[in-house]
Amino acid sequence: MSEIHEIRVQGRLDDRWVDWLEGLALTRENDGTTTLTGPLADQAALHGVLNTIRDLNLPIVSVRRVYPDADRPIR
Amino acid sequence: MVDSTREKAISSPLLETKLFIPRPRPDLVSRPRLIERLNQASAGKLTLVSAPAGFGKTTLLAEWLATAEAGKQPAAWLALDQSDNEPALFWSYLIAALQTVRPEFDPGRSTLALLQSLQPVPVETVLSRMLNEVGAVAQDIVLVLDDYHLITAPPIHQGIAFLLDHLPPQLHLVIAGRVDPPLPLSRLRGRAEMAELRAADLRFTADESAAFLNEVMGLHLPAQDVAALEARTEGWITGLQLAALSVQGRDDIGGFISAFTGDDRYIIDYLVEEVLQRQSGDVRSFLLQTSILHRMSGPLCNAVTGRETGQAMLETIERANLFVVPLDDKRRWYRYHQLFADVLQARSREEQPDRVLALHQHASEWFARNGEPIEAIHHALAAGDFERVASLLELVARATIRKSNQSARLLDWLKLVPDDLIRARPVLSTYYAFALLGTGEMDNAAARLRDAELWLEASQRGPAGMVVADQAELRSLPGTIALAQSFRAQALGDLAGTVEHARRALNLLPDDDHVWRGGAALLLALAHWTRGDLEVAQQTHADGVASLRKAGDVALATSAAYDAADLAKARGRLGEAGRIYRQALQFTLEHGDPALPGIADLHLGLSELHCERNEVESATRNLRQSEQPGKHADLRETPYRRCIAWARLRLAQRDLEGAIDLLDEAERLHVPGVVPDIHPIAAQKARVWIAQGVLSEAVDWVRQQGLSADDDLTYMREFGHITVARILLAQGDDRSVGKVDALLERLLDAAEQGGRAGSAIEILVLQALARRLLGDIPAALVPLERALTLAEPEGYVRIFVDEGTAMRDLLRHAVAQCISGVYARGLLAAFHDGVPQPAVSAPAIVAGLAEPLTARETEILRLVAAGMRNQEIADQLVISLATVKRHIANTYGKLGVTHRTEAVARLTS
Repeated sequence: MSEIHEIRVQGRLDDRWVDWLEGLALTRENDGTTTLTGPLADQAALHGVLNTIRDLNLPIVSVRRVYPDADRPIR
Repeated sequence: MVDSTREKAISSPLLETKLFIPRPRPDLVSRPRLIERLNQASAGKLTLVSAPAGFGKTTLLAEWLATAEAGKQPAAWLALDQSDNEPALFWSYLIAALQTVRPEFDPGRSTLALLQSLQPVPVETVLSRMLNEVGAVAQDIVLVLDDYHLITAPPIHQGIAFLLDHLPPQLHLVIAGRVDPPLPLSRLRGRAEMAELRAADLRFTADESAAFLNEVMGLHLPAQDVAALEARTEGWITGLQLAALSVQGRDDIGGFISAFTGDDRYIIDYLVEEVLQRQSGDVRSFLLQTSILHRMSGPLCNAVTGRETGQAMLETIERANLFVVPLDDKRRWYRYHQLFADVLQARSREEQPDRVLALHQHASEWFARNGEPIEAIHHALAAGDFERVASLLELVARATIRKSNQSARLLDWLKLVPDDLIRARPVLSTYYAFALLGTGEMDNAAARLRDAELWLEASQRGPAGMVVADQAELRSLPGTIALAQSFRAQALGDLAGTVEHARRALNLLPDDDHVWRGGAALLLALAHWTRGDLEVAQQTHADGVASLRKAGDVALATSAAYDAADLAKARGRLGEAGRIYRQALQFTLEHGDPALPGIADLHLGLSELHCERNEVESATRNLRQSEQPGKHADLRETPYRRCIAWARLRLAQRDLEGAIDLLDEAERLHVPGVVPDIHPIAAQKARVWIAQGVLSEAVDWVRQQGLSADDDLTYMREFGHITVARILLAQGDDRSVGKVDALLERLLDAAEQGGRAGSAIEILVLQALARRLLGDIPAALVPLERALTLAEPEGYVRIFVDEGTAMRDLLRHAVAQCISGVYARGLLAAFHDGVPQPAVSAPAIVAGLAEPLTARETEILRLVAAGMRNQEIADQLVISLATVKRHIANTYGKLGVTHRTEAVARLTS
């Protein structure tokens, strides 16, 4: 049962990287970070994305699991 | 085809590039403070260089190794890859790396042999042997493992942790990667055994940034521009390099810098775009096209780009510092910095996705043409061209299946190929079945074989839709399928099935398919052997060895020759066994690598043969020959066989205790093989116990094995049952002796039916002894005469002499009655030669002890007094370090001392 995850990285990321990042949606935020949001099948998929982010030298700011039917949480 | 030069640990053209120590770049900013830290760190166990991509880890290590101080200690380098996650492969590469520094390392290649066995010995055993070798040499070595973050297999991490726990002081390990490895780092930190260089250490300082930008790149920027760039990149070296490339030759440097520092785009995307824009169209398209390649050479780039400029381009890019790294000294192979390549690939896919697939196709074709099927397969997979993958797999299938440590990889690839493609290919389906047999998937394997067979049936009507890449394999296919079915039957324990299918295979295989004919014959021989039909087994086995020789598989033929000699010995044909050993040695001399695995075993076999004939000098000579360092490579069975051969020698010298020690060691090193285990080591130990008079241990063993005198007899348990007979004989009471005669009769029947003269001689000897115990000498002489008749032409000695005074008595009677008079007299002389000659000449030399030292303990004490260390003693006596320590502990106990020096003092007093 896949769950929605939200990963935030430092730096604005172009959409060309979507394929590399398990098809997560990229939102370029105002503070120079990019949020990657979307469903990931399981922990293995999550670690896969994190590894790619590591290999691309994108500093990770946060990783969260967002429950499917909750509203987008307020920061 | 036969390579007479030294075999490398692994032969692969790409191996060189993995072991190549990168040359320091001429355009570096020198980093003396970090070099100094690395120098100091090399006194400890581990240096960890852990930082994300592009922080200059590899560059720094290359610079360090090239400096004078580091240059004093030889360094080995291993550049790791994703595909190195198979433990046997990983450790093989590690050994190969150590061999670049020390070519004579792992002299028997015994470590390698143990690694590559089908049922591997625990890695700790292998690593211990390796570490002992490293520790035995005085010189310091540095071993660098680069890109360690690509290693994810837990067994490898466990092995490295073990390595670190037992690291000899001469070896210093450097692990470089993008991730802290899952090793006990906090423990190493706590004990100050580890030094670390992390991102914070590796970043360029303000001074270093300035030096790089202004001096190395020649930009001569004002201080505030340098500071701005340094701030934006945060001292990340690759970022600075890219920024410098973007700035070079630009008119409006200030404009660029303010745009760059004001932009928070993913930095490397931004910079690579800048850099790409500033390249000529040719260079740009070259970079984008070749970014799919893991490694690049001029010809390969030409194949991929469709142009002839490959070599020139690579050299241009290298000069322009565009992140290309040479992989050898010959300007032949290069690779891109991984991050740079990733970004290029992302762009390439974005701009022209279809072209990327075509690029992979071209790469795959080039690798296939140039004898690199593995790389060809990788690219074909990336191109999504599964038809191509299937064809390539078919071409490498046979060779891959025959290497035990690679059939798992074949399976992984096959599972990626769509099923319908495999089904359409009968050859591939068949090899798929072989691979599945290797992992125990019997039903799946059977299904694949049925797929293949259906095609063969259909092909008689005209094969529409069948796809075959390898026509030669197609000719062999009916036989190959039968061979697979024979293997399957064997794995399922179905002897009759094994025999039936192996026979079919031999009927169906073409006469010139020597490889599989050899395989089928050996399988058949094995089945017969297991059933105890030794005559047929030997004949079939000889056919198999002949086929393997014709196939040019000298290695397999040699190890099979050892088994052939075993068969001859079991049939009581010592002379023939000797001929087989010598002929095999001659053959390898003429056709093989002098360090071939299996040669040592042939010498061990000869040694045992000589022991049986009481030719102690020849036996010892062969034992020494089997051990010459750097000369002979080991099979996985060689280590324990060596212990057994030494044990036989000790027995011939009547050093029973020494024999037990060696058999203990043999048990530790034992690896199961395909050949039936007719003389289990535990049973051999039981016999020595009987000879020592320690019946209780032997009785325990028999009980544990569930053996009794009333069992049904099978060939596999023959040795065990003869041991039972010996125990009954040793017990000596009337009831036991009564039972033993019946048991021996039955054993004799079975042995004769199976053509096992070797066993028959032993049984007859025991019968003679049993009847003598009952007081009936004439009756005893009947089996003795038969034994002598069988044994005389083959020169058996110890099978009689080992039975001691009882046999001597009977032999005297035999001489008196002119039964095999000459031979019997010769045997009697052997008694006079050598009744108890212990290996150590003097008895316990310390007087006045409540419990005297045993011969073994005395021997070890002498060696201690001579100044040998425990490990040296272990090596000398061919026993384990633990055994040496145990003996020493016992010795100290008996002497009432606690130190070496005290013990030695007692010795000399």
